[in-house]
Amino acid sequence: MNELLEKITLCIERGKADLNSPFPADMQGQVGAAELTQRALQQGISPNRVLGEALITGMHRVGEKFSRGEAFVPDLLIAAKAMNAAMAHIKPFFETGEVRRKGTFVIGTVAGDLHDIGKNIVRMVLEGNGWEVIDLGINVSGEKFLNAIEQHPGCMVGMSSLLTTTMAGMEKTVAEIKAKHPGIRIFIGGAPVTKKFSDKIGADGYFPDPQGLVEHLERIHPR
Amino acid sequence: MMMTAKERFLAALERKVPDRLPATTHHVMPYFLKKYLNGISCEEFFDRFGLDPIDWVVAQKPDESKGDFFDPTQGEPGFLEPRRVCSENWRIRWEEIPGQEYRTVRYHFITPEKTLGMVLQSNDYTTWVSERPIKEKSDIDILAKYLPAPLCDAAEVNRRAEAYGQRGLIRGFIIGFDVYGQAGCWQDAAVLFGIENLIMETFYDPDWVHIFLKILFERKKIYVQSLRGAKFDVVEHGGGDASSTIISPQIFQDFVAPYDAELTELAHQAGQRVVYHTCGGMMPILEKVAELKIDAMETFTPPGMGGDAKLKEAKKRIGERVCMIGGFDQFHFFNECSPAETRKEVRRCFAEAGEGGGYILSPSDHFFDADLSLLQAFADEARQCRYARG
Repeated sequence: MNELLEKITLCIERGKADLNSPFPADMQGQVGAAELTQRALQQGISPNRVLGEALITGMHRVGEKFSRGEAFVPDLLIAAKAMNAAMAHIKPFFETGEVRRKGTFVIGTVAGDLHDIGKNIVRMVLEGNGWEVIDLGINVSGEKFLNAIEQHPGCMVGMSSLLTTTMAGMEKTVAEIKAKHPGIRIFIGGAPVTKKFSDKIGADGYFPDPQGLVEHLERIHPR
Repeated sequence: MMMTAKERFLAALERKVPDRLPATTHHVMPYFLKKYLNGISCEEFFDRFGLDPIDWVVAQKPDESKGDFFDPTQGEPGFLEPRRVCSENWRIRWEEIPGQEYRTVRYHFITPEKTLGMVLQSNDYTTWVSERPIKEKSDIDILAKYLPAPLCDAAEVNRRAEAYGQRGLIRGFIIGFDVYGQAGCWQDAAVLFGIENLIMETFYDPDWVHIFLKILFERKKIYVQSLRGAKFDVVEHGGGDASSTIISPQIFQDFVAPYDAELTELAHQAGQRVVYHTCGGMMPILEKVAELKIDAMETFTPPGMGGDAKLKEAKKRIGERVCMIGGFDQFHFFNECSPAETRKEVRRCFAEAGEGGGYILSPSDHFFDADLSLLQAFADEARQCRYARG
């Protein structure tokens, strides 16, 4: 890989957002993902390459570590922060069409559930992997999901639930969506959720970590 | 010889062998009692199923020597809610916000310098924070200057303990922020500032996080020191935001352990046992939690409930240092299975964590819904889990 792209990847993986980021301590005073991304674009490296070979690779690496139990939620959060800093320089190319999103993913925490850290991480990891994410927030009703689906034809849907008490609501929301849009793919996650539960309520998959979802999306929706 | 429930609990807490497996539950939720048992009391619940009873005692009082007083605007405290403490420089006003999807209450904490705001919402199951009071970093200075530190009402604790006698365990809490908080310093900070914000600040402004935690620690310290003479059998510490499904072992070591270990030590000096609550991932931090020198750990949430507990491995790693509480998957084995499967799960827990005592069987946190026949199977089977006497 190009040395500059490798440096960007490392910044994402370690959560070094920009020059001013005090973290990680051993990278203080060094430029971060934001400045290096800008430099790569100035050097004529295509935004698609920067996104695919540097940014997504960085998020993949930390996601894989998380799946293996070698990284934790804070590591994902700080990597996503660096990713977002770099993405600020890639975003204009999405608008001009030079870089294409992998697709649209509508995400929310189901009705009655206010816990959003898991959902936020999935959002950040998906964005970091080139998806446009429509984040409906917390406590999202079936109606709100349906409205978003209608506004974003062809999207996929993710919903999370941390509480066992809101899992029944998840089942209801999945049923409401599938009744109107039988072909839509819905993925679920959250602490008490299992594959068995996913199968039972007719969702299209359960993933215990965001990397699992990303890899599944790559398989079913390659670009 | 058959032990009383209290003796049984205490034997387990001291990592000794009781007559049989102590079997109880985490908080008995009002929602559950109302929906499934016609609103019977906690005590009736324990008697009906033959579980070992716990009396959760919330007893704090204002430090009158400092001019603090109970919040005159507070109504009857709700489930596990403390009586709030105010002062001339920390007054609480609250208002119900109409027209919301959930019952919504806005609290105003009025100080001479600034008014902090917090919003709580609730449904039939539970209450949650929808607006955090710490919005700017300087807001923690307001807490440091004006937030009163309640004391333990030892007389009330002892009255309850006396009345409970040998019936069961008297369990208390290290205080949290009055309106909505929890025992551990990190946990309380997460409630007040938001866990995601707090995690990010450990990277970007760790000094500020330490100042914040220290402020909360100093308030809890006053309470913990006042526990001397209070006849609690165990007091709860910690909180789920310190679990490894939320934070990393490094953050636990750097930001959770220093403060929670010192509080544990102070609680011991005050003659109290401490149970550390982490309702989430525990396996990567088992030894780090045990190093807080706590007496017991809970909830050992299994993977089917969103945790990662492996009881057998945990017993091997920390079973000689702490009493283990929990480990039972209440979501799957109090619902949608046969009584035989529930009984089998009880036996699994006993086999994996019960050896040599030092284990209290309990659902891994509270539950809202349960098939009563499965709850009965849980209690009945647990009572059959006996220890061979040497």
